[in-house]
Amino acid sequence: MSSLTRRGTLGLIGAAAAGLAAPALAARRRVVVGAMNLTSHAGSFIALERGYFADAGLDAELKFFQAAQPMAVAIASRDADFGVTAISGGLLSLAQKGAVKVIGGALSEEKGIDGQKILASDAAFKAGLTSPAGLDGKRFGITTAGSSFHYMGARIAAAHGGRPEFVPLQKVGAVIGALKSGQIDAWSIVPHIAKPLAASGAVHIIGNVADYLPGYQVTTVFTSAANAGGDRGLVEAFLQAFSRGVADYNAAMVDRSAGEAAMQAVVDIIHKYVYADQPREKAAVSIINGSMRLNEGAAINLASVRDQLEWFQSEGLVDAGITLETFLDTSYVKVIGA
Amino acid sequence: MDIRLEAIGHDYGRTEVLRDITLDIPSGRIVCLVGPSGCGKSTLLRLIGGLERPARGRVLMLGEPPADCLNPLTFVFQDFALLPWRTVRGNVALVLEDHRLPPGRMEAVISDVLARTRLSDFAGALPRQLSGGMKQRVAIARALAVNPAVMLMDEPLSALDAQTRELLMDDLVALWTRTPFTAVYVTHNLAEAVRLGHRVAVLSRRPGRIREVVEIDRPLGERGYADADLERIQKHLWGLMRDEARAADEELVDG
Amino acid sequence: MADTAAGMAAAVEVPFRGGGFAPRPKRWVGPATFLALIALAEWGTWAGWISPLTLPRPSAVVETLIALARSGLMFDHLLPSLTRLAVGAALGVGAGIAVGVLIGLFSHLRAALVPLVAALFPIPKIALLPLFVIWFGIDEGSKYALIAFGTFTPTVVATFGAVDNVDRSLIRMGQSFGLSWWSIVRKIVLPGAMPGILSGLRISLAIAIILLVAAEMLGARYGIGAYILEAGALYDLERLFAGVVILSLLGVLTSAAIGALERRLLGWRG
Repeated sequence: MSSLTRRGTLGLIGAAAAGLAAPALAARRRVVVGAMNLTSHAGSFIALERGYFADAGLDAELKFFQAAQPMAVAIASRDADFGVTAISGGLLSLAQKGAVKVIGGALSEEKGIDGQKILASDAAFKAGLTSPAGLDGKRFGITTAGSSFHYMGARIAAAHGGRPEFVPLQKVGAVIGALKSGQIDAWSIVPHIAKPLAASGAVHIIGNVADYLPGYQVTTVFTSAANAGGDRGLVEAFLQAFSRGVADYNAAMVDRSAGEAAMQAVVDIIHKYVYADQPREKAAVSIINGSMRLNEGAAINLASVRDQLEWFQSEGLVDAGITLETFLDTSYVKVIGA
Repeated sequence: MDIRLEAIGHDYGRTEVLRDITLDIPSGRIVCLVGPSGCGKSTLLRLIGGLERPARGRVLMLGEPPADCLNPLTFVFQDFALLPWRTVRGNVALVLEDHRLPPGRMEAVISDVLARTRLSDFAGALPRQLSGGMKQRVAIARALAVNPAVMLMDEPLSALDAQTRELLMDDLVALWTRTPFTAVYVTHNLAEAVRLGHRVAVLSRRPGRIREVVEIDRPLGERGYADADLERIQKHLWGLMRDEARAADEELVDG
Repeated sequence: MADTAAGMAAAVEVPFRGGGFAPRPKRWVGPATFLALIALAEWGTWAGWISPLTLPRPSAVVETLIALARSGLMFDHLLPSLTRLAVGAALGVGAGIAVGVLIGLFSHLRAALVPLVAALFPIPKIALLPLFVIWFGIDEGSKYALIAFGTFTPTVVATFGAVDNVDRSLIRMGQSFGLSWWSIVRKIVLPGAMPGILSGLRISLAIAIILLVAAEMLGARYGIGAYILEAGALYDLERLFAGVVILSLLGVLTSAAIGALERRLLGWRG
């Protein structure tokens, strides 16, 4: 009897606490979260499916994009509120125009955890491209100039004093096709795409991105400059919910500390959005293969972000006048690697 | 060279357009074909010229064409059929270019026929710059250039106004008088027929048959504007044609 | 008399009903519209009621163009693009005219090819680009192929339509003078079809310029299309618009070139 009462009381207190943590529980704020069908967006998927957004007082809706570029533009045009995307020349340029602001980190490379892979086409591999040391003068696939692929390829090759020829192909699908048919020699991509490709024998994994760019901040969380500057409550609520999704993901998929059942539960959630056209068993392999660290608490690696900015500027891809402060608002999350 | 038509008959689909036409076209003579519209006279001309194949009967060429004849059966069309992108000279040259004439010969022929049709001053003009009468003179010059054995003239003056028609008839008479040529001359205009024809064949309405062949003996050069004999012949021809023309006019086009 | 008075009273001038429907050239209106819009954009971006996210400042676009020309990069981008346009369009238009003439002349070919061309025409050529990359390689081959294929079908349709419209009486005239088949094609059919072929060429070349950007989507580092795509990816609106201005100028220039060709080849139309 008393135990029942106590539990009821605890429940009441818990609900009250949640209510306090989430501003304006009565009228939940509508937010549109930009997403892509990639495991790196798992933080958003889990936060939505497990009601973390609702807990934070947000009525969240996922809006899907085929590429990072239109997502950034949608946030600039206020058609979406939050997004997760790689740092690219386009994102920096939009930030410079006062449209978007990076507020946290998402996907990052971590030594010891399977991360992005460096790939070589079968033809190039047979001709001797068996390690990133041979990238000089090779045809390296990128989506567009100023994309994260461009940055990775240049930095990895430069580590060996090389300079590849970059071939813009606009879409990831086109890069995959070009790599399989040997039209390009090399590429780098997240493991859940890299591993099945390598398994088919059409391409070969010749290195890990993490070995060249440890702590590489691959994707970041961003929002419109207006939200970042003028609506702290909204941004904090989003980051809180997003971070809970990230924590679940890391525990289940990266650290595997939550047990097999938790992992399968997270796979189920992700499978709704990633490889949804494939059967569960097949998709699960890719999803598990592709697990990469998401920054705990949406922390952001400042050293990596600075390196990326400097590289984009040195290549003349973005204005030399852009500073970290132009596009980064570090007041929301923990900064690492500074 | 003479032309002989032997029992020519022709159909378009299930419609019989010509029936049992037998006619001689003697060398050096102009034979006019007259008849109501739709009687098949233009069809007959195309059969003679080999642009269509007769369903029945045959068209015979008797004797050899002149030695320097490049195109024995040569048409002059009602709509002139000049290439608008070629000059007067170029239009005449067109019909000579395929014949690999000795050097200088082509230029000589062109100059000659342009002089005969009084077009020498307009050799460089484009068809759009010419009047209707001049266009038809270019077409005649082009026909003369190949030195035809027989000229097949398909209502050559019908697209022209009355005055131009008179002038051009004078030109044709002058041309024939200087160098007699053989011609089959299709017209629905009886005045033209009695002015230019040595022999006038009157066709009935469809299916076209020969109603009568009228010989006109008076030399072309002596046929004046208001000649009583010619008036009489023209009246006679009109008498032959009138009922046919009226009946033809009242037929449904597809009937 | 009353007659006259009545006549006077009833006299009404005939109302004019014949105006309009006759476009007259107004030389200055076109450029003035352009200038007014540009001035408006300049003012708006300068005053701030057009955000830099919406539209670049026109003067900044001009500066970008000048910088592009000064650095020599303009040439680096123009040369490959012009080569791709020239080679691709020459292949497509040449093959298109040849096939169009053949369709116009031979009934069997017409029966065989017209449905095929009708099937090819509506295919978005951009969708075939990955296929072309496999067939012709990621370098110039696939770019030539895309532009050639894109210009081929409209040229075929324009050409066989033009051949169909050649005055049959001219062809019959050629036959009646015993001209060889080849002479009739060369001297009567082709010149007669030229007006239609040239107006088809106008459309084909505009399509070629549109496809240039698509062709440079895959694997091109230099070229006006690649330049525009890169500017779009970097969200660099000044460069994006600078590239678009170059494409527009290219369009105006090709149109003027065809105009000159028409005046030269079709002068006989007067």
